[in-house]
Amino acid sequence: MSESEFDPRPYASVLDDREDHAPGDEPVEDTGHWVLNSNIGLGFSVILTLAAFALANSQIMYAPAIPVALIVLAIAQMGVHLVFFLHVTTGPDNTNNVLALAFGLLVVFLVVLGSMWIMHHIAGNMTPMSRMADVPF
Amino acid sequence: MFGKLTWSAIPWEQPIPLITSLVVVLILLGVLALVTVKRWWPYLWREWITSVDHKRIGVMYCLLGVVMLIRGFADAIMMRSQQALAIGTSQGYLPPEHYDQVFSAHGTIMIFFGAMPLVIGFMNFLTPLQLGVRDVAFPTLNSVSFWLTASGALLVNISLFVGEFARTGWLPYPPLSESTYSPGVGVDYYLWAVQISGIGTLMTGINFVTTILKMRCPGMSYMRMPMFTWTAFAASLLIVAVFPILTATLAMLSLDRFFGWHFFTNDLGGNPMMFVNLIWAWGHPEVYILVLPAFGIFSEVFSTFSGKPLFGYRSMVMATLFICVVSMMVWLHHFFTMGAGPAVNAFFGIASSVIAVGTGVKIYNWIFTMYGGRVRFSVPMLWSLGFIFTFVIGGMTGVMLAVPPADFLVHNSMFLVAHFHNVIVGGVVFALMAGIDFWFPKAFGFRLHEGWGKTAFWFAFVGFWVTFAPLYVLGLLGMTRRLQHINFPQWTPWLYMSVVGVGILILGVISQVVQLVVSIRDREKLRDVTGDPWDGRSLEWATPSPAPFFNFAVMPNVEGEEAYWGIKLRAIETQRLGPEPQYEPIEMPVNSVVGFYTAVFATVTGFSLIWQIWWLAAVGLVGAFIGFVVFAWRDVHEYHVPADEVARVDRARRAARLALLERIAEREAST
Amino acid sequence: MIDTSLPAAREVARRAHEDPYRLGHRDHGAGPVEGAGHGETGPARKRIIVGYGFWIFLLSDIVMFACFFAAFAVERNATAGGPVMSELVEMPRVGWETAALLLSSYTCGLSFAATNARSKLWTQVFLIITGLLGLAFVLMELSEFIGLASRGITPQRSGFLSAFFGLVGLHGLHVTLAGVWLATMLAQVQVKGFRPEIVHRLICFNLFWHALDIVWIGIFTIVYLIGAIT
Repeated sequence: MSESEFDPRPYASVLDDREDHAPGDEPVEDTGHWVLNSNIGLGFSVILTLAAFALANSQIMYAPAIPVALIVLAIAQMGVHLVFFLHVTTGPDNTNNVLALAFGLLVVFLVVLGSMWIMHHIAGNMTPMSRMADVPF
Repeated sequence: MFGKLTWSAIPWEQPIPLITSLVVVLILLGVLALVTVKRWWPYLWREWITSVDHKRIGVMYCLLGVVMLIRGFADAIMMRSQQALAIGTSQGYLPPEHYDQVFSAHGTIMIFFGAMPLVIGFMNFLTPLQLGVRDVAFPTLNSVSFWLTASGALLVNISLFVGEFARTGWLPYPPLSESTYSPGVGVDYYLWAVQISGIGTLMTGINFVTTILKMRCPGMSYMRMPMFTWTAFAASLLIVAVFPILTATLAMLSLDRFFGWHFFTNDLGGNPMMFVNLIWAWGHPEVYILVLPAFGIFSEVFSTFSGKPLFGYRSMVMATLFICVVSMMVWLHHFFTMGAGPAVNAFFGIASSVIAVGTGVKIYNWIFTMYGGRVRFSVPMLWSLGFIFTFVIGGMTGVMLAVPPADFLVHNSMFLVAHFHNVIVGGVVFALMAGIDFWFPKAFGFRLHEGWGKTAFWFAFVGFWVTFAPLYVLGLLGMTRRLQHINFPQWTPWLYMSVVGVGILILGVISQVVQLVVSIRDREKLRDVTGDPWDGRSLEWATPSPAPFFNFAVMPNVEGEEAYWGIKLRAIETQRLGPEPQYEPIEMPVNSVVGFYTAVFATVTGFSLIWQIWWLAAVGLVGAFIGFVVFAWRDVHEYHVPADEVARVDRARRAARLALLERIAEREAST
Repeated sequence: MIDTSLPAAREVARRAHEDPYRLGHRDHGAGPVEGAGHGETGPARKRIIVGYGFWIFLLSDIVMFACFFAAFAVERNATAGGPVMSELVEMPRVGWETAALLLSSYTCGLSFAATNARSKLWTQVFLIITGLLGLAFVLMELSEFIGLASRGITPQRSGFLSAFFGLVGLHGLHVTLAGVWLATMLAQVQVKGFRPEIVHRLICFNLFWHALDIVWIGIFTIVYLIGAIT
């Protein structure tokens, strides 16, 4: 933070493997590596996206399994984004990032799956609309 | 031109809000006049309003919280007295449409604008000091957070004299809160006040998670952090995890109300029960956000005033993280009766019982901390002992409520009301009182008067039980909550006893005020000259009182679990302080008006959205955006404190510590 | 605070020698630095702090999206006699929106590579391309909403439609705000160059834009693809 003027040091030597990184920030890699990662990430993402669209519009799988397959493809693509575009890795310099991500995912699953489970049961216990006329007052 | 706002929004026909508003406005004008006459504005502007210092922001949060606690308490007095008066043929003095606003305001203010600001204020003040660093990760964001919370509090208070407040309780369940059944502005006041302050709180959570994980002084690994910092971390994680749920749910309700959408309506596919589900997915972790830092305060107090390190530090950390995670898995216990069925109810009932294990571990650790120590019955220790007794009973009633069949009988009865006041007052409020007494000298340089502190404690403790124990009985006798009128005369003796308790609590509040006045008057006698008035164990006690704006002249290098205790013992053993460090210039963040500015425009935007004055809302939003851009364009973020100023402040600190060392040596020599 | 008279203090001296920590937020100096990832060597550098703080904010934003996903999941059949999801989906448009956002994510990554290489020109070029692709996405989505509205398919029609417009609209709102942010960053990079705080903001912007694409993966899969076939 004694960087109130233009930082004179070349970036390659400033942030290295011994310090934590934030996601999406890996200046120790040179530009070539970064672009390569982006290219690989784009490639995989395009494949997964095309696969998902193709699957949704086709009949090649047992129909009830298609939503499951689509979700698997989506999770895979999210993983591709995280690894290739955001550089979230399992290195010790990324531990905090992975833990934070895991915590966030836990909350997401609790909220979404918990709500679905709870509301499904509540809805199941509601008086069916056809019987509403029988309910007194 | 002015949307729904007309002159009839002012409660001309309702004497209580009218007179209250008049009095408040007069007091406000008086304060502003006093500050102007005494020319305090430059000082206030420079040192407080635009400050990004975590200590100043912490004090402002606590001040906001205390003032709002008093307003919430006034609502409580009105509720208890109304229920004691309106029995049988008598109607009391608060008509239902007014009483409903009182209990809604009471809950909203106490939780969002009383307890949360106080807890966050403590987190703000203490965390960087305990971590041995100079400020939080994002100091300007911290200032924005505070001012947004203040903006929300202002909106709630404006509702008293312009318009009305919500009548839906502190959580506005649909369909009552939908525009069909609450067409007025009350629910909108609630929504915008809570949304604006919720954004502030979320930013606080982000700030503290980052600070605690990424900014600690050298040597302070995770397992060397003080217990309060661990609980602040767990609470901040919870804030980051669940406040977005609050934002999303209230946004959905706002869309329903403003634009006629159907998330939670009764018709066209809306699902009111989804609101209840989502809001409690926020609401339960919220109470753990309040209580975990309270537990942290108690950990500090118990170890300091028993003269022993905290018993079972590792298990305390485990218990804290356990509570943090499991608190997000129990929320259905707030609506067992909504019909999810036995399987779902059983899961959440078991989880709610299991979470008590974490707290049990903590209670035993505190008791074992006292065992074998030299316990000093100071004011903070009294509050802590009162907490153990009160909170354990409240927690036990909680486990009773966690059993779904039992909950079916007492859900939304006075038993529930007694339970949650038991744990919130016994847990959070007692902790805040203990913490205020404990850390007041660190913030202001002089201790609080002990006699009045003990008086205040006893009034509060006795008053609490006299107020709330009858409510347990009333709940079991079948009384539901939020009643404006009582039809059963057999409840009368309990209601009267409760009002007597409120009277005792009023004496407690008065004692606290007297304590403050007396302490300020006698501040030279109560001055804390060394910075360590209680023989403390964590790093904040290494600084002078009040702490200098840069906290530490040299960042300490931590070697053991109780960072300051080791340093102190070594100094006492060797009869001297460490050598004078090499003083270097320090970088500190500059003050910024952006917090205050954002809050002004947030208030304008919120008020205009409530009253549907669309052009004013646009002005507010555009103004806020311009503020962001101007702030983002600034070139100067930090300034340097020259080394000799750092040296001057620190040498004064060392001189005071040397004097303390000599006093300790004399004491040891004479014993 | 170096006291050499006690054994414990020798450890302090060793640390001071091997780990010459500085005051404030400056570098840890040349030489071996211990304890990567555990924060034992003092506060992290500002770049890490800013990036991590923004990562935490992103996770909170994802929780907010999760609530809207939950509302969609719960109210997906609450059509109140109105239109169902399969009547709303126009597969080609969804495909183009997805392509636009995915490519914009790619060009955003490239612009950050250019930032690392300190090339102002390529940073700006790729940022502009990112912005244009994002704008295309928003315009396509707006035309989708307007088209639906002209068929009488509005959020006021049913709980399901409220949940649909809420979720997709929230994402579109985020993309729009990110676009405003992008425009601001273009201006700031142009005027101020690659000052550290500008680079920090570009890191945050990168994170935000990628996260929006990740959320879109969830939306197009769950809302559009799965919605079209059930």
